[in-house]
Amino acid sequence: MQPLLHLDNVSKRYGAVRVLDGIDITVADNEFLTILGPSGSGKTTILRIIGGFEGIDGGRLMFEGRDLSAVPINRRPFNTVFQDYALFHHMTVAENVGYGLKVRGRPKAEIAERVAEVLDTVGLGTLGGRYPALMSGGQRQRVALARAIICEPRLILLDEPLSALDVELRAQMQRFLKSLQRRLGIAFVFITHDQEEAIALSDRIIVVNRGRIEQEGAPEELYRRPRTPFTASFLGDNNLIPGRLAAVDGRLCTVDTAAGRLDATVDGPAPAPGSAVLLAVRPEHVRLDADPAARDGLPADVADVRFLGANVMIELLTPALPGAVIKVRRLADGAVAGLRPGASVRLGWAADDAALLQAAP
Amino acid sequence: MKQKAPCLDALLGLVAGLGLIALYAPLLATGALSFFQIVRVRGTLGFAPFSLDPYVALLANGEILAALSTSLVVATVSSLLALVLALMFAFYFVSARRGLGIAMQIMVFLPFLLPPIITGLSLLIAFREIDLGRGLVTIIIAHVVFIVPVVYRTVLVRLQLLGSSLTEASLDLGASRVQTLRYVILPQLRPALISGVLLAFAISFDETLITLFVAGSQTTLPIRLWAMMRVGFVPEINALATLIFLCTAAITFAIGLMQRAGERV
Repeated sequence: MQPLLHLDNVSKRYGAVRVLDGIDITVADNEFLTILGPSGSGKTTILRIIGGFEGIDGGRLMFEGRDLSAVPINRRPFNTVFQDYALFHHMTVAENVGYGLKVRGRPKAEIAERVAEVLDTVGLGTLGGRYPALMSGGQRQRVALARAIICEPRLILLDEPLSALDVELRAQMQRFLKSLQRRLGIAFVFITHDQEEAIALSDRIIVVNRGRIEQEGAPEELYRRPRTPFTASFLGDNNLIPGRLAAVDGRLCTVDTAAGRLDATVDGPAPAPGSAVLLAVRPEHVRLDADPAARDGLPADVADVRFLGANVMIELLTPALPGAVIKVRRLADGAVAGLRPGASVRLGWAADDAALLQAAP
Repeated sequence: MKQKAPCLDALLGLVAGLGLIALYAPLLATGALSFFQIVRVRGTLGFAPFSLDPYVALLANGEILAALSTSLVVATVSSLLALVLALMFAFYFVSARRGLGIAMQIMVFLPFLLPPIITGLSLLIAFREIDLGRGLVTIIIAHVVFIVPVVYRTVLVRLQLLGSSLTEASLDLGASRVQTLRYVILPQLRPALISGVLLAFAISFDETLITLFVAGSQTTLPIRLWAMMRVGFVPEINALATLIFLCTAAITFAIGLMQRAGERV
């Protein structure tokens, strides 16, 4: 099936700085796609290229098989929700929302009707007469959304729209965005640096770093099966242990590390034996045994115990892996109540919970 | 929290107060003397009782009224022309490459920063070279050259504050460049446009030195005032000075209000 939008090998430079390096992205109809990356990764540039605010230096931008490169901003069938909302403060909420129809020369009666409809959709039914300056952050956010959806675009671009909201409002707006996207059936391209937000909202996530795509896939797939060290540490926490691949047997691999020979599993093609690799183990998957009689696993000392509410984050130092801090996440229940810094424990993990990654060259 | 220093505050207040008195006492004296004329009664000086005679004489003076109307025409036309030019310069500055924008900006500011006598002389020579007879047109051109920087500065500050995101949002919603200018940019600039024009109007209304070079047989109000003082002092001068002061103060007050309105938006 033809994708709705296709960034085909797109490159972008600012002067001598290469911000995007051969990016390939497809967006399907009705999809909630998140582009996730740290600041400076090029994610906002991707959005600005799709919106038409930036040109490209290489590659093509295709919409339903049509080249969009020469199509100006105001002729593209997309609308944007800006990070700072960019509301028109001299206009009322209704005038802001109706702006897209007004500049298309639609009759006043039709505009009024559509504005009322869209304001209802975003839950601002009675506030059309207000000025944006007198509204809360969450309400302005909804005005910006209403303004973007009224022209019935094929795609909505959202540039970190929740970053200015406080935690509680943010969670509420996340649920709202997700349900709105399902109701409208419009594809959303959502930009964020917040991995939890990306996991909670998206059908698919594209992780970008330094102008390149690290990995893409469904949130669960990316979380469970990171393929690059960057994805492994950016999407949730991971303990990364360096080593050299010793042998591969199907999905099961053995890796020589400072702590001896450890088992791991690999997804997809395995690197060649002898190459530098990393073991990635989630903090929640590290086994911890405080019983002094235990003989299994690596001996370690508790360096720090941090109470995080529902969870406890325990940091371990093991002489087997000098310089490494092993993070362990546990529910804050009785099992960890007695752990204090200085206590001796043993740690380990199931081979299935240790993902094998190719080390960064 | 800043520590309070009552002594220092009192001293600052005193200095500021003295400064204000030094600045405004001559103006107050002029105003007072326009209502209470100094008269000589049997060899000693004294004040005549309150009278509006100088104002009546002023209104009966056809030459002054003619000069006033010239000044109003010049100030109105030149500040509106300056507005159009300043808008174009400001848009150019925010969209052009940095070096070109700065070069343009220096050229806009130079006539304002040069000593007026140089600007006036240069204009005079230029008008002679292109054979443009001195009169209303040359006065207006000279004033536009002089006040464009003032309007330009006011508009540019506001335009830079707006940034590019409102323009992008408007284009994103399908508006053309012209629609964006009309529905988004100009309404957002309105307070700056009005205060810029008022400021330009006040400066044009008071401008004397450059005008002297290019006026020819035309007479603006400040030039009339200057001419009256050269032939001898009459009480109308106090009345006229007081009126000009009050008008300028009113415009300044209006500018202050517009700028407050601009900050709120």
